[in-house]
Amino acid sequence: MESVGPCFEVEPQEVTDAEFSNDELPMRHRLRAFVIRVVSFIILSFPLSAFGHGAEFLSAKLTLLPEAEVLLEVTADYGGNPLIADEAAAKQALLDPIRLRSGDTLVPLSKVAAARVSKHDNWAEFAPAAYLPPDTESQAHALITSSWRWRSAVQEIVFEMPKGKLHDVLLWTRDDTQPESSPKWMLLLAGDQSKAIPVHWTPWWRRRQTVMALIGLMLAIAYFVSRNFTLRQRTL
Amino acid sequence: MHKRIFSLLSAIALTGSAAAEVAYEFVPDFIQPPPGKATIGNGHGEIAVDSAGKIYVSVQERDAGIQVYGADGKFIKALLLPPSLHGFVIRKDNGGEFIFAAVLGEAKVIKCDLEGKVLMTIPTSEFPADKMGKGLKLTNCDVAPNGDIYVVDGYGQSYIFVFSREGKFKSVFGGPDEPLKLANAHKIFIDKRFEPARVMICDRGHKRMLHTQLDGTFIGEIATGMRNPSSASFHGDLMCVAEIAGNVSVWDKNNKRVADLGTSPKPTNTPKIEPKDWQQGIVTSPHGITFDNDGNILETEWNQWGRVLRWNLKK
Repeated sequence: MESVGPCFEVEPQEVTDAEFSNDELPMRHRLRAFVIRVVSFIILSFPLSAFGHGAEFLSAKLTLLPEAEVLLEVTADYGGNPLIADEAAAKQALLDPIRLRSGDTLVPLSKVAAARVSKHDNWAEFAPAAYLPPDTESQAHALITSSWRWRSAVQEIVFEMPKGKLHDVLLWTRDDTQPESSPKWMLLLAGDQSKAIPVHWTPWWRRRQTVMALIGLMLAIAYFVSRNFTLRQRTL
Repeated sequence: MHKRIFSLLSAIALTGSAAAEVAYEFVPDFIQPPPGKATIGNGHGEIAVDSAGKIYVSVQERDAGIQVYGADGKFIKALLLPPSLHGFVIRKDNGGEFIFAAVLGEAKVIKCDLEGKVLMTIPTSEFPADKMGKGLKLTNCDVAPNGDIYVVDGYGQSYIFVFSREGKFKSVFGGPDEPLKLANAHKIFIDKRFEPARVMICDRGHKRMLHTQLDGTFIGEIATGMRNPSSASFHGDLMCVAEIAGNVSVWDKNNKRVADLGTSPKPTNTPKIEPKDWQQGIVTSPHGITFDNDGNILETEWNQWGRVLRWNLKK
């Protein structure tokens, strides 16, 4: 076989046991050996899965609440997503991650509710187990979640990814009124549309606000009736 | 999403007639894992075939980073290599045949013989410090006809570094800025179907593939709107591509899609699909791919249990 070029030193440098066992070593050498041992131990015990890539998508946890309320929590990982370099990029990705289909238009989430933004490191709360990054347990993640909460004006909602979107979105649907039911997920790429997701639609006459308003109205009527009745009694 | 599935199905239907000369059939249970194992092991790597027809698959196993199989899919041996060979190629160079691999977990490139003996290392220190960002995350490499080694920082800033055959830094191009504006350039390959050869870039973040000249000058996009292209291989005028969100595609030299294989009904991108949920002939998250010497396709997946699928060329 012909020459294939120089063989460079393989990193990291190996340290033999003989170097460690020499009692005559000065203190700083022993300290160095100790540090190398600790570092080597950490490296060797580092899970192999840590070499894996992280989540290359935004995780959108959709919670369907009673009375047509919808909570959408979209999480970006700027510690393990090669498409998101830093916190600023994560915030940028979360400004307009996915849109609502309304007839012929795509409505940005900012048009239906104001976003609440929080920073945390808890992936497990914001992505389904089948999609948690392989290194979830071993590596610290830098996560930002933007939450939008609104009351749907329609009985079914459809999410859509505008064409050209850089970040895929994993839409994870949980039904809060049926906690025992298994969550459903779908990965949406640019141009994809979710299937229609029925919200917990409540007829207007059964909504809490309607009931409260009716009770208030009845109380007001009762008050006026009783007041008029009392006044009439006094004038008589 | 339905539109995407429909278009993929349409493409499959079209390719059946438009490219009658290229058709494949799935080969179930081709790979026979090492003795005592039900599956090959944690996969987040590549697959390649040497000139003798042996199949090399990288797995995330300490001191056994590559498994070697015969052309019949039977396990032969494991090579004593690092566990994070995210991308590698087998190339003939200067009279020999070698494995060139990007070691993701150690931010270096190695060149070794087919027995796994490391002959050369391009260490982290050989890369330009101003292009490392928060640290190199090297995902693949390939070798140009003149022996230059091209390396991509696919999980980092998507810069493509060029080294001499001896491992000395020569130049860099690509990255997140103009003109290429790469995002998660997962793997690169030297496309020798063309003369002069080109660099083929799997720009996974942008769901596209593109060609540049060997000096990095943009030539053009090969395809857009893909299911996140992750790896590729060439045979004759054809190129097969592993799309991690659930598809294997085959392209001709005119950048025309001529086949889709194993398309997952819905997009995926996870290593956690368990063997009990695998379906024969349907991919989960394709990560590495190669033609063998006869034009058959072998694909390996991002999967914690490890999975290899094979489609034979119909002749």
